[in-house]
Amino acid sequence: MLEAFALIIVGLLTGALAAALGLGGGVIFVPALVVLFSFDQHLAQGTSLAVIVPTAVVATIAHARTGNVQWRLATPIAAAGLVGAVLGAQVALRLDADVLRRAFGVFLVILAVRMAWRAWRLNGRPAQEADPS
Amino acid sequence: MTTALTKAAVLGGIAGVVAGMFGVGGGVIVVPGLVLWLSLSQQQASGTSTATIVVSSAAALVAFGAAGSVDWPTAALLLAGSVIGAWIGARFAHRVNERSLAIVFALVLAVAGLRMVI
Repeated sequence: MLEAFALIIVGLLTGALAAALGLGGGVIFVPALVVLFSFDQHLAQGTSLAVIVPTAVVATIAHARTGNVQWRLATPIAAAGLVGAVLGAQVALRLDADVLRRAFGVFLVILAVRMAWRAWRLNGRPAQEADPS
Repeated sequence: MTTALTKAAVLGGIAGVVAGMFGVGGGVIVVPGLVLWLSLSQQQASGTSTATIVVSSAAALVAFGAAGSVDWPTAALLLAGSVIGAWIGARFAHRVNERSLAIVFALVLAVAGLRMVI
């Protein structure tokens, strides 16, 4: 009972953060399932994906209602993404993933610094155009 | 616009490769790419990235589901909270100023990056 309640709360908070930031939520769901509920990594990833798909559908509808989905860009990103994911999985099977993983982590931190630097220069620009709904 | 579509395809390809290699979602690449390279606002990047996540995570879910690596009862409980959270989060993103949203994104991205390094 308590566990069920905890799962719903984790879902609520992660869903809100992920939808606001344009992420799936796996960044939080996977570690939460592994650490708090003792899932193994693979089961945590699969379960996380099962949550992410419907959650992302709801988030997309909500974003689209405020005019924040650029469908013309989303289409090529999604199509190329599917091809890329198949290639990436093949590469992962052939290379030393651990070194690459660390390198990628460093790259993400550099991206974070660039995003923060850009945000800093926005000077608190207000939200976009008025809500059309 | 053609250039934007080409950039979007390149961005999607990179995000896909990274997602396939490291098992991280494409959003960590797609959002910064849309903001820094295609000059979208943080809000537009969130919405557009979310739409691409529907497709990429559905494809990955098929693979994990086929392998039996999904705990459906747990997923259902998480989902009960997350669909409500997603609606609130997306609406909130539209109201909050872009700078605050961008700073929170940068923090989450930095944590995700550091987790992979350590």
